[in-house]
Amino acid sequence: MSAGRDTPGGRRPLHISAVIYCTALLLAALSIGPGLWLVLGAFQPVGAAAGNPLDQVVQDGAITHPSTWATTANFQQAWRDGDMGRPLLNSIIVTFARAGLNVILAALAAYPLARMRFRGRRIIFLAILATTMIPEQVIVVPMFRIALNLGLYDTLAGVVVPFSVSAFGVFMCRQAFMQVPKSVEEAAVIDGASSLRIWWSVMLPLITPTLATLALFSIIFAWSDLLWSLIILQSPSQYTLPVAINSLLGTFSTNPRVAYAASVLALVPIVVIFIATRRFFRPEMFGGATKG
Amino acid sequence: MNERGLVGHGIVPYLYLTPAILVLGVFFFGSFLWVIMYSLGTLNVFEQSFTFTGFDNYVQLFNDERFWMCLGNSFLYLLVTPALIAISLACALAIDAQIRGANTFRLLFFLPVVTPTIVAAIGWRILFNEQSGLLTTLAQPVVSVGDAARIMHAAFVSEEWGLLGGNAHPAVAGVMATLHVEPLSTPRWLTERPWTLISPMVVTLWKGFGFYMMIFLAGLLAVPRELREAAALDGAGRWTSFLHVTLPSIWPTMTLVTILSSISALKVFDEIFVTVRGVPVDHQTAVPFVYDAAFNQGSFGTACAAGVVLFVILLVFSIINLRLTRDRS
Repeated sequence: MSAGRDTPGGRRPLHISAVIYCTALLLAALSIGPGLWLVLGAFQPVGAAAGNPLDQVVQDGAITHPSTWATTANFQQAWRDGDMGRPLLNSIIVTFARAGLNVILAALAAYPLARMRFRGRRIIFLAILATTMIPEQVIVVPMFRIALNLGLYDTLAGVVVPFSVSAFGVFMCRQAFMQVPKSVEEAAVIDGASSLRIWWSVMLPLITPTLATLALFSIIFAWSDLLWSLIILQSPSQYTLPVAINSLLGTFSTNPRVAYAASVLALVPIVVIFIATRRFFRPEMFGGATKG
Repeated sequence: MNERGLVGHGIVPYLYLTPAILVLGVFFFGSFLWVIMYSLGTLNVFEQSFTFTGFDNYVQLFNDERFWMCLGNSFLYLLVTPALIAISLACALAIDAQIRGANTFRLLFFLPVVTPTIVAAIGWRILFNEQSGLLTTLAQPVVSVGDAARIMHAAFVSEEWGLLGGNAHPAVAGVMATLHVEPLSTPRWLTERPWTLISPMVVTLWKGFGFYMMIFLAGLLAVPRELREAAALDGAGRWTSFLHVTLPSIWPTMTLVTILSSISALKVFDEIFVTVRGVPVDHQTAVPFVYDAAFNQGSFGTACAAGVVLFVILLVFSIINLRLTRDRS
């Protein structure tokens, strides 16, 4: 870490640095806190007192033997009685399908919007952007009915299809395509490549950072989705993790630790993905939003 | 901009657009037209029957006290916006000033953003546990202050056996009455007003500040550092330079964050649905009201009418956003 760049107004006085630093540490603790509590709670034996899980971990100023505060029983129960294997698989399928389709469909739609001349281009682009003003939350009922009529009710496809492309994704890809110099395309046209071939083997590789960012955002949203999945999925065999966890809160209301264990199952993969791909979560990637 | 497209003639461009237009057209524009239609009638989703009833749903909705309470709660929920701005801007400024470990802090502050909302809400439920949660324990001293006030109230002002009886000076009685806060138990974070609204707001705040911090950081990147250094050379203090150089240049980002976070506050569902699980619907906000009306009560028409009302409110915010964005460019 660098030694700290001098801020405007000269060097920061020590006491101000200390306040800033303590606040940052507090916020960092808060960011990890609820997740940590959840993990500790998930490992707690059923008989343990509810509440502060650290009470069992640290007693008389020393860390106690793990066997007094950690058990995998809750995980076993979540896996066996809560049947979490299926929702885990469903969530993985839904998340990757949604991320893959979001990238492909947005990149397809954005290409002509950025690079081709045709009738209605402007109006189609505006119409796509206008969908951001129709949030799913206000149209869940007709969306539900349309999905029902299309035979998507209680299927994983029903979770995926309505959210397989977003105006946000199309907008991002269009911006990225517009940055690509025209000469790149010209060379490919002279070589006699078809537009689909140019799109796939010339244009897409040039905007991979954008595509990766879009994929990651889609993964985060899809993995977390509760409202729509709750509405469209009915049988436990189709449940995604958030829906299954929600149902565990009801069925195991006397032992919430089973739901904690299932929550850990939903938390760990996304945190691993985030840490592995952290280089994509740079402020620059959020700058597009400000250019609106 | 291309003067003439190099590639794609005839129907080719439309072929590229077809999948996106189909999905957005059917599920968003289609649903949008239907939600207005359904709000004007009685719908049975499973029997596929629909009877037109005019504005009955709206009349019913506007006479429903619970709907107004939910709508009011949605507006109260907008109070997360100033808190979000304050915290995320402070974080962005600290990280932009490259405090030691800035990259690690940025990573940690973004962790809540990737955490699935239901997982976050369950984690917070442990902290909010009304018997033994950490926050309940921490609230204990505060509650004790309230207890002390109650004891003093009883000792001095109480009609029956207070030292001053009913003859206490009005000023003393007034102070005591103010201090006399009921109930003097630890807050019922998950079951009683106003906590049933505040607790989910805490979750929203927790989950959102890292996201808006990133947007502020992007905004700060666009501020030429020379500008701020020039201000420093002119002898401007840290605070003056923030107020006169940094703040004006990130003002567009500020309006963007305000609008984005306001819109998402009005659309909140997950945090409320999970954090304060099982509280009566009138403790909740507009989207949970829509969900409850449709999928618990089966009154799809009412749900659609409530959806349309919420849409109009959101539209106002979107239009403000559009105006502000256009003014900038």
